[in-house]
Amino acid sequence: MRYVARRLLLFVPTLLGASILIFVLLRLVPGDIAEILVYQTGSEASVIQQRQIGQIRAELGLDRPVAVQYVEWLGAAVRGDFGRSYMQQRPVADILRERVPRSLELALLTITLAFLWAVPLGVVSAVRQNTWADYLVRVLSISGLSLPIFFTGVLVLYLLVRLFGWLPPLEFVSFTVSPLENLKQLIWPALVQAYYISAPITRLTRSQLLEVVRQDYVRTARAKGLGERRVVYRHALANSLLPVVTFAGWWGGRLLGGIVIVEIIFSVPGMGSALAAAVAQRDYPTVQAMVFVMALVFLTLNLLVDLLYAWLDPRIKYT
Amino acid sequence: MRGALSGLGRFAARQPLGAVGAVLVLILIATAMLAPRLAPHGPKEAAFAPYLPPSAEFPLGTDQIGRDVLSRVIWGARLSLYVGLASVVFGVTLGWLWGVVSAYVGGVADTASQRVVDALMALPPIILALSLMAALGQSVNNVILALTILLTPTASRTLRSLALSIRESPYVEAARAVGCPTWRVIALHVLPNTFATYIVLVTVNVSYAIVVEASLSFLGLGAPPDEPSWGAMLTAGTQAMEPAPWMFMFPGLAISLTVFGLNLLGDAVRDLTDPHLRGGLG
Repeated sequence: MRYVARRLLLFVPTLLGASILIFVLLRLVPGDIAEILVYQTGSEASVIQQRQIGQIRAELGLDRPVAVQYVEWLGAAVRGDFGRSYMQQRPVADILRERVPRSLELALLTITLAFLWAVPLGVVSAVRQNTWADYLVRVLSISGLSLPIFFTGVLVLYLLVRLFGWLPPLEFVSFTVSPLENLKQLIWPALVQAYYISAPITRLTRSQLLEVVRQDYVRTARAKGLGERRVVYRHALANSLLPVVTFAGWWGGRLLGGIVIVEIIFSVPGMGSALAAAVAQRDYPTVQAMVFVMALVFLTLNLLVDLLYAWLDPRIKYT
Repeated sequence: MRGALSGLGRFAARQPLGAVGAVLVLILIATAMLAPRLAPHGPKEAAFAPYLPPSAEFPLGTDQIGRDVLSRVIWGARLSLYVGLASVVFGVTLGWLWGVVSAYVGGVADTASQRVVDALMALPPIILALSLMAALGQSVNNVILALTILLTPTASRTLRSLALSIRESPYVEAARAVGCPTWRVIALHVLPNTFATYIVLVTVNVSYAIVVEASLSFLGLGAPPDEPSWGAMLTAGTQAMEPAPWMFMFPGLAISLTVFGLNLLGDAVRDLTDPHLRGGLG
């Protein structure tokens, strides 16, 4: 219980710390949004430009101390107001409401596919240890770890375009409008990412299962005459999945980073592609909000995993 | 010499995959070091017709502004290795010192520094790198700086927990009992005993740093576009996928082989230095 309380108590300060970090970071940028906006229009006299820059800064509140800006931002953010996007000229909250569900769907699809494919492969690899099946699985997962996601993504896109005349969709169709169209858009980026994420899950399932199979209680299960299938699935696998679950901290981070890349390759208008665009345009409020949301998701995931771990395995004591 | 050779032979016999990794890494290092001699043309020399397919003159074709892809892939090895090694050595070394000192000193300083590590680790790695690049601006050295900031907290977390257990060990207690000053205990007793872990962290992180560099360049936020970065070459290749598939294929293969080799070698080094994992199941 003390562990749970401590873990929960740390959550908020860590999130605040991360948001301060990003806030300060984005204001260290040489050449802020005001300059970009003004120089883009290409007016001539520099005195006029200087005045314009000052005006825009005052309008956007960029002329005040960073600490004041942060406190105001935070006050509004907790009420769900993330300011206005400089580039898109609309509230960032609207952009989030539009983009986050898409990326969330992509992430869920990816995780489901990854586990559906990784766990059985890990089991096969362990049960048939040192056979050709095992070697095949191991080579597949080592190469999965080595192929950077942007390369597999581009390769899959190329094959799709060449072999099937596939074109990236012009408009995003949501699941509620047409589930089939929606899956057609998301399945490829999800598969590409799932392949990358599944490699360590397969490896971990395999090595855990090999360890668990040597435990006494598995021998007991066999001795009392249970079928091999039942021994593997009910007794061994259930116990070897624990570290696989806690591995979520690792793949959660990779997933959030990878989403930026696959969304760009497969033209999915989700949060990742919006974040990359916002970074390139130095659209602070959008970057700030999106990184905040990602940190929130990431921290929540890690929190859930830690709590789940403590709950699943009561032997584990934290200090 | 014969001793060293038979040592290598034993390594290859015990870790066949590690040996394959070592060979790939050696090829990478040789390519990086000999780039000016190996590359037929300059990496930024745009002196030929664009989109030429692979031929005897241009084995890997030319790119959208008529640069030799082979030369850029070769120079790319140098850039990748430079960024990967520099950032990992800076990042892991900083994290090493930070973690060990923080663990040994303990108290408020330790708690405070661990909260900073928490905040840094609260951001998914690529997202943190992206934000850092947005703030720093595009350049090769800024990529190294961003990667250093990315790698330091994780390294410090790992080495801190190791140093915590070393702090309680009898030999450290003995050193303190004979009146050894704190800095001396850290420098002569704690640091050397975390060195094996430090080496493992360096080897396993180089491939990661190379991938992050390429990812940033792929997103257009890493090295400036004319630098021969494999990631940036892939982006250019993606935009010209139909007319010139060689533009994305070869840099992609180069980075995959590099990461594959470094991963195999990293696994082997970890297995060799960690007796617990020796002859393991992985």
